[in-house]
Amino acid sequence: MTFAIDARGLEKVYKGNVAALAGVDLDVKAGDIFALLGPNGAGKTTLMRILTTQFKPTSGEAHIFDLDVVRDGAEVRKVIGYVPQETSVWSDINGYENLLIYAKIYGLPSRSRKDVIHDMLESMGLRAPAEHLVKTYSGGMVRKLEIACAMLIRPKILFLDEPTLGLDPAARIAVWEKLVSFKEEFGTTVFFSTHYMDEANAYSDEVAIINTGRMVTSGTADELKHSLRGELIKFSLSDHRVDEHTLGRIRGLEPVKSVVVTDSTLNVTVEDAETALPCVMDALRSEGIPVERITTTKPTLEDVFLWYAGTTRAPGAASSIGRVEGKAGGTRRE
Amino acid sequence: MNDSLRVVLAMIELELRRLRNDRTEVFTRAVQPVLWLVVFGTVFSQLHAIPTSGIPYVDYITPGVMLQSVLFVAVLYGLTLVWERDTGILKKLLVAPAPRYATVIGRSMSSGVRAIIQVVIIIPVALLLGVSFIPNPAYFVAALAILFVISGGFAALSIIVASLLKTRERFMGIGQALILPLFFASNALYPIASMPRAIQIVAVFNPLTYAVDAVRGLMITGNLALLPLDVAVIALFDILMFAVASLSFRKIIE
Ligand SMILES: Nc1ncnc2c1ncn2[C@@H]1O[C@H](COP(=O)(O)OP(=O)(O)OP(=O)(O)O)[C@@H](O)[C@H]1O
Ligand SMILES: [Mg+2]
Repeated sequence: MTFAIDARGLEKVYKGNVAALAGVDLDVKAGDIFALLGPNGAGKTTLMRILTTQFKPTSGEAHIFDLDVVRDGAEVRKVIGYVPQETSVWSDINGYENLLIYAKIYGLPSRSRKDVIHDMLESMGLRAPAEHLVKTYSGGMVRKLEIACAMLIRPKILFLDEPTLGLDPAARIAVWEKLVSFKEEFGTTVFFSTHYMDEANAYSDEVAIINTGRMVTSGTADELKHSLRGELIKFSLSDHRVDEHTLGRIRGLEPVKSVVVTDSTLNVTVEDAETALPCVMDALRSEGIPVERITTTKPTLEDVFLWYAGTTRAPGAASSIGRVEGKAGGTRRE
Repeated sequence: MNDSLRVVLAMIELELRRLRNDRTEVFTRAVQPVLWLVVFGTVFSQLHAIPTSGIPYVDYITPGVMLQSVLFVAVLYGLTLVWERDTGILKKLLVAPAPRYATVIGRSMSSGVRAIIQVVIIIPVALLLGVSFIPNPAYFVAALAILFVISGGFAALSIIVASLLKTRERFMGIGQALILPLFFASNALYPIASMPRAIQIVAVFNPLTYAVDAVRGLMITGNLALLPLDVAVIALFDILMFAVASLSFRKIIE
């Protein structure tokens, strides 16, 4: 199996002793869409800039398709496309000219250059405004143009630093449809950072969360959601007390992980609410306890994010753990 | 090498394309050199205060004013790199499959595009003031080439200075602090022989002096005795500046 990205122990200390990365390990499979999540200042951009050969890590090493980002920088740059977090097109020339200049910088053969550019404009939906100055573009159009520039050389891997920052929902979907189509059509690996959890959830094959320069977890979105303690079922009991016997019986049920009673609610944490619900209901019914209302809460990727990165592991972080509890319902890991 | 040349040419083309949409700046930038010629040139011409070995003073300083304009444009152009650090353009260029020095040289040389435009605006004004150019197209093209090449060196010099700047503040001040000494401690406005000894020494180490001499010889006096030396000094200056700028570039991008 070739990895698109394979990084070991990456550290980066900026001037002024800012430790932006503190030992990052990363494996990204070829052809995957990989989401990098993390709070502001976590080190996402720093990681991306090292992987795209802009500067060397202070220590550690990284390979892009088996090419070393430090030693084989020139080779790496031939197989990657990159859209930085900040705007990276020239605003005082038009969209077509932006692509033309990049095509020349990238050394696209002059025979096919025009066709490639036109295909790219077409596929990004930029044909109509191609002759307009980029100054007049909306944020979504600029992002599409930037992705078009990065895709000109059909890179094996595309690095996108917050590709949909500031875009409206329709523009975000449009951008993602293109990215997914690149993956499907050309097998392009997409490595992107984002603050939009729904995006990571919907489009990524794998997710990693970075916080204060360390990878705190990674896996598929589902795996991460399951890695929180499970799903919560809340039974509202019409002013009925649950006796110890019943509690013990429910605790003893196979899928049940924990049970907490508060006033007239019974909180049952399980692995999977859909399959666990009938058997908990059976137990309650046979004990003659009437249930007024049932709600189930599944952890979302947002809960995962808040759990792993919502606290900066600093004193006073308890309140954000509380938020996780309130939202996902007792999904804290022990 | 091929990669590098490609990048340099693409960046020059970029500058030409940008220029098409940015014409007002070309003319506002031209105001200063035109004033130098019209006011300073004509006034001192009448005073006959400066020994110019026979040629009218306006003719004498026309190459000097051209080079002042080139210097001004190139230095400010190079310094704008500090601005671009905060946009993604620089980052994206670094990730393009081309050596880093090509980006630096391309950036520097494309300042030459703007510089030449300034020179082209100065020429009709000079003609109106009665400056007589040597009517030899080959000389003329050679002079433009020298202006273009020295512009690259000055832009690279200002990239080096930009890499030392932490913030954008004092940007204009730094620009002036770079431009004015180079300009006044050169033969742009007066012959080296008429300078105080200390300034003479500075002028001898000032690349602008050699560029002025070359352009003055090719456009006005026809005296090409020192042209080989001029060209050698300018080439050396450019290579040195490109090399140091490529090295100091790391500071800008990190
Ligand atoms: N050029 C730099 N010089 C010094 N420190 C830097 C530099 N760039 C980033 N840092 C610091 O390194 C840390 C990581 O920054 P980085 O930009 O990688 O975070 P990020 O995850 O991309 O954040 P965001 O979500 O806000 O974009 C921060 O503490 C930041 O202040
Ligand atoms: Mg960032």
